[in-house]
Amino acid sequence: MFVAFVNTLCSSLLTVCITCLATFAVTLIFKTSTTTNFAQGSIAALGCYVTADLFGKYGIPVWIGVFPGMVVGILVGLFVDIVFFRNGKNVNALGKQIITMGLVSIIFGGIPLIFGNPETIPFEPFYNTVTAGTTPNLLIPFLGGELVLSKHAVICLAITVVVLAGLFLLLKFSKWGLAVRSTASNEFTAELMGINSYAITAASWAIAGALGVLAAVMYAGGGARIGPSFMTTIQVNAFLAGILGGFSTFRGPVIGAICIPVAANCVGFLANFRGMSGITRWNMVIVYALMLIVILIKPQGLLGRPIVKKV
Amino acid sequence: MVKKQNRVQAFFRHPLSQIILFVIILAVIQLLSMAGIVSNSLVFAIGNTLIYAIIAIGFCLLLGYSGLASLGTAGFIGLGAYSAFYVVQEMGMPYIAALVVTLAVSIGIGVVVGFISLRIEGIYLAILTLGLAEIIRNLLMALKSTIQIEIENVRLFGLLMDTRGGYFLILLTFAVLFWLTANLINSPAGRAMLAMKNSTSAAQAMGISLMKYRLLAFVISTVFAAIGGLLYMMYVRTMTTATSTLLTLTTSLNILGAVIIGGAKSLWGTTFGVFIIYGIQSMFLSRIPFFIENPAFMTMVTGVLIILVVMFFPGGFAQIAMQAGQWLKGKGGKKKGGAA
Repeated sequence: MFVAFVNTLCSSLLTVCITCLATFAVTLIFKTSTTTNFAQGSIAALGCYVTADLFGKYGIPVWIGVFPGMVVGILVGLFVDIVFFRNGKNVNALGKQIITMGLVSIIFGGIPLIFGNPETIPFEPFYNTVTAGTTPNLLIPFLGGELVLSKHAVICLAITVVVLAGLFLLLKFSKWGLAVRSTASNEFTAELMGINSYAITAASWAIAGALGVLAAVMYAGGGARIGPSFMTTIQVNAFLAGILGGFSTFRGPVIGAICIPVAANCVGFLANFRGMSGITRWNMVIVYALMLIVILIKPQGLLGRPIVKKV
Repeated sequence: MVKKQNRVQAFFRHPLSQIILFVIILAVIQLLSMAGIVSNSLVFAIGNTLIYAIIAIGFCLLLGYSGLASLGTAGFIGLGAYSAFYVVQEMGMPYIAALVVTLAVSIGIGVVVGFISLRIEGIYLAILTLGLAEIIRNLLMALKSTIQIEIENVRLFGLLMDTRGGYFLILLTFAVLFWLTANLINSPAGRAMLAMKNSTSAAQAMGISLMKYRLLAFVISTVFAAIGGLLYMMYVRTMTTATSTLLTLTTSLNILGAVIIGGAKSLWGTTFGVFIIYGIQSMFLSRIPFFIENPAFMTMVTGVLIILVVMFFPGGFAQIAMQAGQWLKGKGGKKKGGAA
């Protein structure tokens, strides 16, 4: 039973990676631009389409094609910040949300125009086990049983750990990180201190775009069907992970992003017990309800600090 | 002569006469379509847009007057739509029973969200209501795991509510709810909400109960959204739950967008915002040959319009109308010698 439980945890590995990347992107934009980017998922889908197109039409393998995809994500992110947000300085946080929403409509309309409307788009993981002639899963002996890990998930985990660790180290120790943290805490004061907050915000959008596309390519490689809105669920989970962990820190949302898919799989694991087989249908309801309760008890999030207001 | 003009102006300024005029115009359009002058699909699109307008007016009260942002609208619409389906189709009860169920459930949910809003504010509240909408959506889809829900034509007080009858019912509901909201805004309750929006501490210091008015605002917006869902099922009669965007974040964002680009504090502005987001596609663009061939451009046009309005007119259409009015007045005033 215990091995089965650990296997359940292992099966959520890929979703955890994807949600972590998406959540970090959302958090970065939330902290530097004080808005929730609803176009996060659409930008990611657009980049993923580029990768898929390069793979399907020109046979370029996904691990190379992901880079042009990420470049598209970066360009769209920069475009949004430089063209829309910089020219609309008196737009408040709600207005910014609506701008990202308008962007969703544009990308939704744009994707079929650029890439046509194929029913199924061929796609493969970073390391295609079918053509390489090996099994898609790693089997590790564990406490008398066997742990099943998909190779795609292991590769994604490695990439995610490297990328996120790099970003966290940069945030903590580099000059750029200091600038991001000060812009996040107060944009106006940061500008007075000589920080180019324009450049910081633009860089955040670029990084968020790239991370989104990376997450989307991982998701599509794991077998998800590509479509203009295929990242929506991940994006919604990323927002929820953000408030579950607390937007006041950078690590809080990432921890929230680990919790949500793991909790969903744990609830699903209960289906193995007698009389509980129907629970898989209620999976997300239970997870979201639990999350709601946690946030009601601790409104600033799991790792958040209470905001002290001075009058 | 001047007095008469003032009286005419005052007549058109009064919300009740405005709404009556609006209803008469839209009713005439339906009558014209019965006579075969206006196409049926245009009238159907108007009815559909009016449903979203009802939802947006409730949301306008919440966002524009109480300053509370919510992304749960889609979930509340789902409540109405599914209770129509369950009560009418599965249980075979009359449509009015579905209304009672919807009201009861949505008031309950509204109270719950209202209490949550006392503890969590701003963008956090918006994301939390998004979570709540996801709970409702998943719950509804788990309850009935079919791809499509469908109901038959309903009867209300012996009248058949098909696309024609339904249109008039929607128009009537819109008029009544619009009038009620307009009255509420100009009442002490509306002013209390506005005070609460501008400063919670100042409002509390003036003796305004945050709990009372936040609950009220959330209950009203939830009820309006649920009624919208109820009317949607009656009018459109079918919903493909698996692919429909009605219950997802998109709808919540569209309603939010309609209120923002309409001008958060203007009911007519909000109605116009709904027209821009929902109506313009189905009523006009879908008739132009270029857009029929390239439907993707329709969504893009809407997106570009939204972005342009928000970037250059943060006050929305209400601001555009006001500026245009001032510009016209300024011209007229100069002619008279600058007295105005």
